[in-house]
Amino acid sequence: MTGIVMFVVALVLLLLGFPVAFTFGGVAVLFGVLAQGWDLFALMPFRVYSIMQNTVLMAVPLFIFMGVVLQKTELAEQLLESMGRLFGTLRGGLAVSTILVGALLAASTGVVGASVVAMGVISLPVMLRYGYSPALACGTICGAGTLGQIIPPSIILIILGDVLGLPVGDLFQAAVMPGLVLVVLYIAYVLTRAHVNPVSAPAIPFVGKTQAPLQQYLTALRAIVPPLSLIIVVLGSIFAGIATPTESSALGGIGAILLAVLYRKFSWSMLYASALETVKVTAMVFAILLGATAFSMAFSYTGGDQAVEGFLLQLPGEKWGFLVFSMLVILVLGFFIDFVEISFIVVPILAPIAEALDISMLWFAVLIAMNLQTSFLTPPFGFSLFYLKGVAPPQVTTLDVYRGVVPFILIQLAVLLSILITPAIYGLN
Amino acid sequence: LLVLAACGNDTQQKPAGPTTAAAPVQAVTLKLAETWGPNYPIFGDATKKLAAMVDEMSGGRLRITIDSANKHKAPLGVLDMVKSGQYDMGHSASYYWKGKDPNTLYFTSMPFGMTAPEQHAWFYYGGGMELMEKVYAKHGVLSFPGGNTGNQMGGWFRKEINSVDDLQGLKMRIPGFAGEVLAKVGAKPTNIAPGELYTALERNTIDALEWVGPSLDLRMGFHKIAPYYYTGWHEPGTELQFIVNRKSWDALPDDLRAILRTAMQAVAYDMYSRAYHDSAENWVAMKREFPEIQVKTFPREVLVALKKANEELLAEFAAADPLAREIIDSLAAYQTKARAWTAISDQAYLNSMPE
Amino acid sequence: MNQATLKLQRAFERFADTLGVISAVLLLGLVANVFYDVVMRYLFNDVSIGMQELEWHLFSAIFLLGTAYALKVDGHVRVDLVYERLPPRRQALIDMVGTVVFIWPFCLLVADYGIDFAAEAYSIGEISGDPGGLPMRWIIKGMIPLAFACVVVTSIGFLLRALHRYHGIDVATARRSGLS
Ligand code: NA
Ligand code: NA
Repeated sequence: MTGIVMFVVALVLLLLGFPVAFTFGGVAVLFGVLAQGWDLFALMPFRVYSIMQNTVLMAVPLFIFMGVVLQKTELAEQLLESMGRLFGTLRGGLAVSTILVGALLAASTGVVGASVVAMGVISLPVMLRYGYSPALACGTICGAGTLGQIIPPSIILIILGDVLGLPVGDLFQAAVMPGLVLVVLYIAYVLTRAHVNPVSAPAIPFVGKTQAPLQQYLTALRAIVPPLSLIIVVLGSIFAGIATPTESSALGGIGAILLAVLYRKFSWSMLYASALETVKVTAMVFAILLGATAFSMAFSYTGGDQAVEGFLLQLPGEKWGFLVFSMLVILVLGFFIDFVEISFIVVPILAPIAEALDISMLWFAVLIAMNLQTSFLTPPFGFSLFYLKGVAPPQVTTLDVYRGVVPFILIQLAVLLSILITPAIYGLN
Repeated sequence: LLVLAACGNDTQQKPAGPTTAAAPVQAVTLKLAETWGPNYPIFGDATKKLAAMVDEMSGGRLRITIDSANKHKAPLGVLDMVKSGQYDMGHSASYYWKGKDPNTLYFTSMPFGMTAPEQHAWFYYGGGMELMEKVYAKHGVLSFPGGNTGNQMGGWFRKEINSVDDLQGLKMRIPGFAGEVLAKVGAKPTNIAPGELYTALERNTIDALEWVGPSLDLRMGFHKIAPYYYTGWHEPGTELQFIVNRKSWDALPDDLRAILRTAMQAVAYDMYSRAYHDSAENWVAMKREFPEIQVKTFPREVLVALKKANEELLAEFAAADPLAREIIDSLAAYQTKARAWTAISDQAYLNSMPE
Repeated sequence: MNQATLKLQRAFERFADTLGVISAVLLLGLVANVFYDVVMRYLFNDVSIGMQELEWHLFSAIFLLGTAYALKVDGHVRVDLVYERLPPRRQALIDMVGTVVFIWPFCLLVADYGIDFAAEAYSIGEISGDPGGLPMRWIIKGMIPLAFACVVVTSIGFLLRALHRYHGIDVATARRSGLS
């Protein structure tokens, strides 16, 4: 009961517009101290320290740094614009390029905070400048940035592997197809939307009419190659065993600096400004994590997790009823609780039931991963939404972000449904 | 090494099952924090069994509530949280606290040390408990054996180890003291986040890693990417620990204290049997499903070098601290004594057994 | 609302800026640190656990100290569905009340218990348990109380700025600086 009240209070207070991180922290103090006394907060340093030691999260500052350098040196812009130009008069090219770059980044990190923020820094300003509707731009970035969660490597899959006792490698393999299907559907949506509503996603004209079309394509290609090869080098370093995924993001940062030097866009002040900007955005992301860990501490130590558990044990005991309801429960919880909590509170309760019903665990895991990916996008507590809003220019409103993600949430749900109904397509079962 | 729950693990814990009797007066509840998740096989079951056992034995007067790593989010903060009274009890492994107090190292398992039965004998009859009490006294905590995994495997290797030369520059994820021993012979212990271990090994970012043994390795899937499964040398009998805050312990009435002590010992033995069982079962499954796994033992030359490095390190530790010397000497003396018996009993029996 | 309080606000903001500078330098250090570790391991087959641990030491110092800096540059994300429609005075009021009701209790509590947390590491001389790991864990553990205390200090500047805004004095700050 306390848990539900906590969420309602947090929701109302968040709407006041005070920074999310501290609102979470303040609500945690209010409820935690009332129910458990001051000493509950003696546990906070341990939680903070766990975040500090979670080296996978290092990808956040490192990736953001790469993104900021690419942005400050206008190389990202050049990449996206040129990619967009290759679409010629076809509208929506910039958004499609964003999705493609997002998919590449997704394949080199499993940390959503890293990819959403990097994408937000790189491509949001460009899309806005070319007259994209803010909602479509934001939705595209949140959707593409959150791909990191299903396209391996992925933190969700690693946690699910741990909780469900499945080899991480098997899970990674199983998630590739659903991830690619998402990419294709995102692109299809963006192109359709641009076709139906041309104003929301204009085409990027070739500059200067003097060049022959072929010449223009070549110029565009030339502009694409260096930044794109940087991203591919980052990916390649993981596949070649040179670096772990986390480390690869540092290689990306160094690579971005080298590119800047190559293009004579390097300066020490640019480097310093990029670092400072990275610090600010990184702190924004982690402050949310710090506030959220306090919030989840207060939630679980005041009996919230027991309430969730009690509810879950009443799920229907027949295969399809169980599957549908468990997916609905995870989806609804995803509006409020973050994916780590869901993985740890909900999944262990569901797993034995699924096993008893002879449901393929790999299939179940992919279903959950796809479902949890959606939780990043569902308001009010969608972390991707917070992250993107945190780096968006002032003219982008929270409502733009909320509105923009709706189609992408629907696409994810459609894919979730298709995995549920026809697992064979995805090579599951 | 033992599995370090990758930062926040598993689910919320049910409180110990309710008793049938009417609500008893003066029920005591002890809060226990464990390093693992509750659904973590074997380890997580041990604490659940402890809670059920004390509840039943005390007629509901002693309850244990279990918070797993998912709840407290501090798998390696268990000692601190029990010490400071945030929790009354903990379930973890002593060697995790090596950085906080080097003398806690010796109560889990040592390279080239004793097997589980030998070590149990040392704990309960050979002075081990007294030494452990001495070490933990300054932390205001009591420590008890908490279940043994049995012999741990030497790890998964992408390449064969045929000589000490093959260890030079070998990048291996092997934390703690065993890592120090390997470093001394030229290997390169490497830190990799548990979540990235699989990818790191698959992509040759590291050459080898050690986890536990068949009981827990199967679920990690390492057998799919590393062909060589080496037999153990560094953790011949890994014992977990129950730790109890001194004040919480002192506050218990005598009978509940006896119940708790008995239950901890029973659970420790039970976990050893359970781990043995799971390892046996999983190994059968592994051999059947992945016949390409090659079990290897390090060549004599390598083991001799490792043992020498181990002894040199222990000599350094002993020289630095009198209590460390006392423990190391006690371990060594007891091992010599117990091993002589093992040699003419279990070892002789196994060696003499016709195929 | 006079020259003195304005000066005070600027002093707190300079403090926050300093934290930003420190974090920015640490960030560049982190990039170099990780790059070095990769190069050494891949090209020279050499691994130093100490250097690997330095990575997360730098990483955590960056986001911990950065949190205070981000407060000063208004980098912390808000759900501004309602907020952006409010008049400046109302916004300033929310910022002032929020500082007192949300930031102070939360950060002071964590800072306070964080002192015990770091002191424990200091008193037992905690070091890394891994071969070649870093000594003196109290330093990095001490970053927790330090950082949360820094947020409280910076929040006073944040509060003063809101107070000035409430009284119609909008001091030019680095709001939204560097973004877009
Ligand atoms: Na990913
Ligand atoms: Na959500």
